[in-house]
Amino acid sequence: MRYIFSIFRFYKFKTALIFLLSSVSIVSMVLIGAIGNGLVDMYASMLKSDGDIIVTQKGVADTFFSDVNISLVDKISKIENVKSVSAIIVGAGAISKIPIAGIYGMSENRIKKYKLLRGNFPKAKEVMIGENIDRLLSHPKKVQIFANSYRVSGVYKSDIGFENGGVIMPIYEASKIFKKDASFFLISINKKAENIEKILKDIQNLSNAIDVKTTNSFIDSYNQFKIIKITSLVISSISFLMGVLAIASILSIMVYDRRYEFGIKRALGISKSSIIFSVVLESVAIVFISFLFSLVLADGILYLLKHIDKFQGYISGEITPALIFYSAGGVFLMGVLGSLIPSWIASKTDPMVLILRG
Amino acid sequence: MIKAKNIEHYFGKDRVLKDINLQIEKDSFTIITGESGSGKTTLLSILSTLLTPTKGEVEIEGILIKDIKNIDKFRRENIGFVFQFHYLIPHLKVFENIVINANDKSLKRAFEIAKRVGIENLMDRYPHEISGGERQRAAIVRALINSPKILFADEPTGNLDSKSAKNVFSLLRELNITVIVVTHNRSLISSSDRVIEMKDGRIC
Repeated sequence: MRYIFSIFRFYKFKTALIFLLSSVSIVSMVLIGAIGNGLVDMYASMLKSDGDIIVTQKGVADTFFSDVNISLVDKISKIENVKSVSAIIVGAGAISKIPIAGIYGMSENRIKKYKLLRGNFPKAKEVMIGENIDRLLSHPKKVQIFANSYRVSGVYKSDIGFENGGVIMPIYEASKIFKKDASFFLISINKKAENIEKILKDIQNLSNAIDVKTTNSFIDSYNQFKIIKITSLVISSISFLMGVLAIASILSIMVYDRRYEFGIKRALGISKSSIIFSVVLESVAIVFISFLFSLVLADGILYLLKHIDKFQGYISGEITPALIFYSAGGVFLMGVLGSLIPSWIASKTDPMVLILRG
Repeated sequence: MIKAKNIEHYFGKDRVLKDINLQIEKDSFTIITGESGSGKTTLLSILSTLLTPTKGEVEIEGILIKDIKNIDKFRRENIGFVFQFHYLIPHLKVFENIVINANDKSLKRAFEIAKRVGIENLMDRYPHEISGGERQRAAIVRALINSPKILFADEPTGNLDSKSAKNVFSLLRELNITVIVVTHNRSLISSSDRVIEMKDGRIC
């Protein structure tokens, strides 16, 4: 390591350049992955919170278009081991001067789970607004949603980022706007309930117009999530590939630039494998240091993005252990690829040719 | 003994060595001289295994270079090379440069040889912190560190004053190994066993 750091110290400018460029590539890679996953995770968290089972309209794969008969809430509540049933409408539209934001209609039991920063939970002709909307609209007393005006009863804060950029109203109010009973029901069951399949079956038996699934299986099969996940995977793969190629080429230039050094070493009888190993180790070390730096930087950027009001909480990401694992793998690949190929080529060249060309 | 048979070498389309045949006896002190561009350095590089000739063969102690499986090991155990421009590794201190590929036992030897060429006090400095002549002397110590059987030197005294040049030459002369030196310095020729004069890629 002392040898490697002596190289970094000597080639300060080149080392700084590689460090900077590899950090930019790694940060982009991590951010794209984290934000893509974050978007999915936020909606998944919303569904999972107090939702062991989800009920949607039969054959409608998207919760935005689903319409479930609200009279089923009472019937489901009476099924054994069902703890609570929340009815939710999800929609989007203009809120006062904000062109688009989330509009959530919720049954009272769901609304009361939100943390109020100030005011009260909404009643008829009232809404509570997320903290981001509150800041964006400069603490409004009323908001305009479509053609209707609603009094702001309170301001809430949610751990699910995008909910802070929306409004929540009683489900009967949202029902008037979106002309539907409920987009879906979230059902919480007793922890002691052993046979979830029986509960699913009992709910399903109540109506032929509904699909009943565990929340986890719904999330796994949800069309929008698949689209977001695949898009995010494709974009982060492209970013990853570009990052790998960029760093590999920068490292190649650095290795290429030091051909004379390899020529001298080979002339002194140092083995090819030993030269290649030290070059690869050196490259892996520098990209790994930039990787650690990039993780901290990406985490800081994600924090900032999450707290920019303009984004209404929609930009949120988490650096998961899986993301760290795959990124670290990619970084290792960058270091190895970027140094192995040019040093291998150099090792095949006559020492004097390397010295003279270097 | 070193034998070169029908050596030719091209750099691109330029034929820099033409039909070179020579034999250098074991433990002899040979000087290769000639005008600039006559092919001295190219010939030295080929004889020392650092450059593969376009045509022809080189044999060291009865072994054809092209047949040597581990050329790095062969170089480490048999050959020392002093380059024209010292070529010390810039990010390593003088001592680290000298022992970069030294056998473990030769660390003591590093100081012995360094003392002989007068750089024992410079071991802790970086190459850019010492003079050109001192760098060249460090390069000589590095070449001798593993007690090579053959020493190749390309203008080893090029950056030295006349007194230092004589000291270096007397050091090389006392080694009792095969030494092949490329030099322009006519005053040093008298100390050699054999002089090979080159002109236009040929031995005169």
